[in-house]
Amino acid sequence: MSFEVSIEPLGVTIEVDEDQTILDAALRQGVYLPHACGHGLCGTCKVDVLEGEVEIGDDASPFALLDFERDDGKCLTCCSKPLDDLVIEADVEEEPDAQNLPVQDYVGTVVKLEMLTPRILGVFLEVDGDGLEFQAGQYANLHIPGLEIPRPFSMAQSPNEKNIIEFDIALIKDGVGTTWIHENLKVGDKLEFSAPYGHFFVRISDDRPIMFFAGGSGLSSPKSMILDLLERGDKREIILFQGARNLTELYYKDMFLELEQQYENFTYVPGLSGPDIEEDWNGATGFVHDVAIEHFGGKFEGYRAYMCGPPPMIDACITALMRGRVFEKDMFMEKFLTAADGANEKTKSPLFKNI
Amino acid sequence: MAAKKLNLRKRYELLTRGMGWETSYQKMDDVFPYDTFEGIKITDWDKWEDPFRLTMDAYWKFQAEKEKKLYAIIDSFAQNNGQTNLADASYLSAIKLFITGVTPLEYAAHHGFSHLGRHFRGEGARIACQMQAIDELRHAQTQIHTISHYNKHFTGLHNPFHQSDRVWYLSVPKSFGEDALTAGPFEFITSISFAFEYVLTNLLFVPFMSGAAYNGDMATTTFGFSAQSDESRHMTLGLEIIKFMVEQHEDNLPIIQRWIDKHFWRAYRVLALVSAMQDYMLTNTPMSWKEAWDIYFVENGGALFEDLGRYGLKMPKHHELATAEAEHLSHQVWSVFCALGNATGFHTFEPSEEKMAWLSEKYPNTFDKYYRPRFELWKRQKAEGTFEYLASLPQLCQVCQIPMIFTEVETDPMQISFRNTKYKGDNYHFCSDGCKDVFENEPEKYVQAWLPVHQIFQGNCGGATVPEVLEWYKFQPEDGGDYFDSLDYRRWQEWHGNAEAAKTGS
Repeated sequence: MSFEVSIEPLGVTIEVDEDQTILDAALRQGVYLPHACGHGLCGTCKVDVLEGEVEIGDDASPFALLDFERDDGKCLTCCSKPLDDLVIEADVEEEPDAQNLPVQDYVGTVVKLEMLTPRILGVFLEVDGDGLEFQAGQYANLHIPGLEIPRPFSMAQSPNEKNIIEFDIALIKDGVGTTWIHENLKVGDKLEFSAPYGHFFVRISDDRPIMFFAGGSGLSSPKSMILDLLERGDKREIILFQGARNLTELYYKDMFLELEQQYENFTYVPGLSGPDIEEDWNGATGFVHDVAIEHFGGKFEGYRAYMCGPPPMIDACITALMRGRVFEKDMFMEKFLTAADGANEKTKSPLFKNI
Repeated sequence: MAAKKLNLRKRYELLTRGMGWETSYQKMDDVFPYDTFEGIKITDWDKWEDPFRLTMDAYWKFQAEKEKKLYAIIDSFAQNNGQTNLADASYLSAIKLFITGVTPLEYAAHHGFSHLGRHFRGEGARIACQMQAIDELRHAQTQIHTISHYNKHFTGLHNPFHQSDRVWYLSVPKSFGEDALTAGPFEFITSISFAFEYVLTNLLFVPFMSGAAYNGDMATTTFGFSAQSDESRHMTLGLEIIKFMVEQHEDNLPIIQRWIDKHFWRAYRVLALVSAMQDYMLTNTPMSWKEAWDIYFVENGGALFEDLGRYGLKMPKHHELATAEAEHLSHQVWSVFCALGNATGFHTFEPSEEKMAWLSEKYPNTFDKYYRPRFELWKRQKAEGTFEYLASLPQLCQVCQIPMIFTEVETDPMQISFRNTKYKGDNYHFCSDGCKDVFENEPEKYVQAWLPVHQIFQGNCGGATVPEVLEWYKFQPEDGGDYFDSLDYRRWQEWHGNAEAAKTGS
């Protein structure tokens, strides 16, 4: 059995199993809550319970959660489990640009399948009626026939296109879900999905220029975000660093080159990392973070960064950005966390909240 | 729907806004004269993220309840004669070292944070330091109150602050605290909040608190819990100050790296005393120093520095040596205490057979090979009546002030590690490359060190004989020496109905 826990002031709702702590569930579902010791001694994870009942847990130290705080309806998320649906208020930052769109279930019909590269398949689904409302950068959980757990894929089209949903799906070696999609999906098939999820969206109310970093099929979110910004007539400087191993894997290149022509404030910097780069390539080479360092001379101060791609790429980008003086508050990335991620995680320091 | 509630940060900002202001008829630099000379550049104090968000009103309420709980447990411990339920009276050596070595350091931290609470230009940082100043004072007081109960029944607990100022081995923590206190505010907070309270605090508190619990000392365990509930704020402050400084200006990075290198090494050397406490003084030991070092420094500290690496900060210099020393540290420190056990304020003793078996198991590469024979020899000598304490005074390291007992663990663990350097015609001696580096970066500071052995030779410590110096320390004749010849031992035997042992000693 599980309960729904709403987290104020974010307005986000997470699902918590009856024998799971609130903190564990939140972190697994990609929602950061403050925490430190993880076993009830320090009190860093204290929250207010506004509605519903919690089991405070025996691990909560009487010094970390005092009697009057227990009476006032506080609990430590690292040891508390819900007994009920809950509303809690945590010491976290509200996102002024989050639209907090409700998640809904959809059925889409495959209207087009297109190999964008030898290993990335563009899946275009049509949904009826008002279509899907989402913020550029968000993702959907796609139900794949025969698989119990749905798989997350980011919407790749502009959010202004609500009825034709695009998922660009890379074939993952030994990946059951992506293999099924690549091998079995046909035009006319119906797929169920729920959306929109995630906190990866452009913080548009902040007017600083933006760098996007995209690697492989991680291009989906940045593509949607860039299209959205340009269609809104946003005039800030926007730069996209797109990484791929070779020219055949560098998809949507022509579209971005066209956008670059069309919009003065948009710059497109593709880079190839090899080892099998085609001979006629005369653009940048190297990993995407190195391409960006080269482009900016290693100094990124004043920019905000949005990143999407394989974990080693994100990791290298974060280090490059921080050495170039863009810090945690000005970098954003999507974290697709599933229940399995927690188990083999290595020791983490509490230095950063969102990285 | 009612107006949306503000989040905690916004509420705190509104509550505290305007607590600081730009001065008009005095220059800001005159009002805050200490926060620029270290070279740390702060471009915008408003970027300081207050890690606590606690109002003074709420602070008092919290701390009052913590005190209420703690004192209830101390009272019941006293009323139930909790001291008789300890694992053994020899455990008190750990408490004696703590009250004389650590409690004065808490009080020194109170001084330091009070100073910062006045002298940081940003009001957010000032308030954070003011609260921590009160925390540190509370920790010193509650430690004194908790341990004062033992002072009724055991020796060596009667004059911790006087002894902290004078005793040879207590100059180790004292000189570390004073090194930080006499630095500028940013170095002080890097030293205490980051290097000591963040990177190394678990190595002190975990063995001490769980050690207390393992040995039936519920009063001490409780003040440990009470203090640890404040530590979340202190640790967050340690991280916040590092992030704040590096993010404010790129020129700050090399300065911070130098401080991290220095204060990691200084604090680590202080913890050498803790290693002996953990492996030898505790009757029942929850984990060995080496195990604690691996978890709290190698693993957790490693993860932290991996993240700090994003900023360009590196693991503290000589951390590899500290890790290599983990298999030797406690044995070497306890040996020197045993060898100079006539001049300590606590009792020393050779480990029991059971303890030695435990040490062999925990230190398979070192204990049987290097250290067991030493303790067995002393045990034999004591049985035969031929044991003698060291007659001469040890040479001290100019920086950490520990006797020159550490060895070349990476090449020849039986060879004393000896470093020296010349400065203005004088020769200075060090226990390690770590301490030598610290000296060479700021020689003018460390040539002034008050080294207990030098001071004795210069005639500044009560006289030329051991009894005179001990009297000047305000050690009572029954405070030191072998545990099995002690008043503590005899009293313990009496309580436990062993009249024969109570009369004669072992």
